[in-house]
Amino acid sequence: MSATRRLRLLLVPAGLFVLAIYAWPTLLLLRNAFNEVGPTGALVAAWSLKTAADTFADGFTFELTWNSIWLSLVATAIALALAYPLSLFLFRTTSRWRGVLAVIAILPMLISGVVRVFGWLAILGDRGLVNGLLQWLGLISAPLKLVFNWTGVTIGLAESIMPYMILALLAGFGQLDRTLEEASRSLGASPFRTFLRVTLPLSLPAIVLAAGLGFVLSMSAYITPKLLGGGRVFVLATEIFEQATTNTNWPAAAVLALYTLVLLLVLLAFSNLLARRLRR
Amino acid sequence: MSYLELAGLQKRYGASVAVDDVSLAVEKGEAVALLGPSGCGKTTTLRMLAGLVEPDRGAIRVDGIAMTNLPAHKRNMGYVFQSYALFPHLSVAGNVAFGLEERRRPKAEIARQVEDALALVRLAGLDQRRPRELSGGQQQRVALARALVIHPSVLLLDESLSNLDAKLRDAMRHEIRSIQRSLGITTLFVTHDQVEALTMCDRIAVMHRGRIAQIGTAEDIYERPATRFVAEFVGRANALPATRGPDGKVLLWNEPQPVTAPASGEFDVFVRPQRMRIVPLSEAVGAETVRVSGRILRSVFVGDHVEVLVEGAGGQLTVEMPSGSPALAEGAEVAVIWRAQDSLPFPREAP
Repeated sequence: MSATRRLRLLLVPAGLFVLAIYAWPTLLLLRNAFNEVGPTGALVAAWSLKTAADTFADGFTFELTWNSIWLSLVATAIALALAYPLSLFLFRTTSRWRGVLAVIAILPMLISGVVRVFGWLAILGDRGLVNGLLQWLGLISAPLKLVFNWTGVTIGLAESIMPYMILALLAGFGQLDRTLEEASRSLGASPFRTFLRVTLPLSLPAIVLAAGLGFVLSMSAYITPKLLGGGRVFVLATEIFEQATTNTNWPAAAVLALYTLVLLLVLLAFSNLLARRLRR
Repeated sequence: MSYLELAGLQKRYGASVAVDDVSLAVEKGEAVALLGPSGCGKTTTLRMLAGLVEPDRGAIRVDGIAMTNLPAHKRNMGYVFQSYALFPHLSVAGNVAFGLEERRRPKAEIARQVEDALALVRLAGLDQRRPRELSGGQQQRVALARALVIHPSVLLLDESLSNLDAKLRDAMRHEIRSIQRSLGITTLFVTHDQVEALTMCDRIAVMHRGRIAQIGTAEDIYERPATRFVAEFVGRANALPATRGPDGKVLLWNEPQPVTAPASGEFDVFVRPQRMRIVPLSEAVGAETVRVSGRILRSVFVGDHVEVLVEGAGGQLTVEMPSGSPALAEGAEVAVIWRAQDSLPFPREAP
């Protein structure tokens, strides 16, 4: 056996793992999408497109799609606006605290989503930190509605995807080089012009990578929209859960799940294409 | 007043002093090399000049105008980086046009100047290439064109040839020198390579431990080194440990010599290998000639000359003889002679 073939054997465990926990369930999902639910609510095994037709005939599906995409776009944009300067600082700092700072920046990743949501409730709730402070300052008389609505979900989601985006940005900053910025300065570009003409263009691949990741994570997020949305925020992920558990309509849940998967694959392909063009 | 003046520049990083006290005056159109080993402060000096490092003390003036507190982008200095620092996301033309665009020149003028600059460095026709599609030498030329096109008040070159292979380096050396001369551009050239310094510059400032040890023409530096460090760093030199005889005469290899000794302290006598000659022991020498005797250890043919290693009472020394001189047998007892004026005594440094 040649060395490369032996090396390929190393892929086998991971391959089996992916097959068992991803490919096989996805196939089951696909099979389920062709089933129907009878008038009594019982599952009827079938090879029909009725469930899919019903799902896409329902205007609510498109409202959910729009909700999911819009929420993910806004959360990703906010997270990027916060993560980009922070990552740039982490990438460049020569401080001996760099390692510690990086760990702090990605610390939220290590905390359970549920715990994080309760943290946000304590901060954003009617009697939470923000409302308390604003009322104490006399800026508002009644508490602002910051949770159990889109605002709360957007804030919570932006925070939860930020650590992943910071890691993606740090990994993608490879082309950034202090000397290039110095060259730009020596050629007469102010620090701001240098950022616009050198730093930003060279970090675009990292931005596309991070934004793509943030968007995918937002689209598939369930805990945050569910708990911070207080039952008033409907997105694809919450609806899939609703159909599968409350309504026990597995075929409908399967159709929605596959639809979300296809949406994400299309968007991912698009962002990959963009990243590749930028890297040229 | 000189065109470019550095006065008492100092830069510290924590406890270590990168540049201690550098003062330098450069005339308009002159090319000066900052020559020294790594860590001598030459690059830091150049970076302070460009505004990339802020000096702790001292002043920089160009054409009588104080530059010390001006930000880098307002100094109008052309900087060629060791790594070239070409913008990978811009074409060759885009790289060269960068400085002109920042100066808001009209489009047509930029196009014309970029074309001229690329022609000057013999890269015409490559304007649409990306930097990574170019060879090292071509990248070097783009970096040079990019720095020259803005008509800088001073051109700064930071070890700009060190990433090229030997042959290309030779060609670029002459090319940069002729461009520098034809444009009459004041140039400061940082290098650790003495050949680069000797061939490309009007004057050389040898730097050592954050200070300028000596500044002068190539000949000054080579023939009349001011310090022991300069004698050791520039060119090759034999260092012969000297002792004082009972009558105060200088002894080299235990033989009295017509060499003037410093007033006090231990010292070594430095002699360039090509100033030495090997003669038979029997040959009589004049009063102004230094003569030591030893045995030929090895003789190596190096193409344009022969290096002969001679061992004697005080150690070893190397003599450089023109190739084609009569062959010398290893083990032969010979005398090594040189003119007394070619002896450079320097105090011995504490190890």
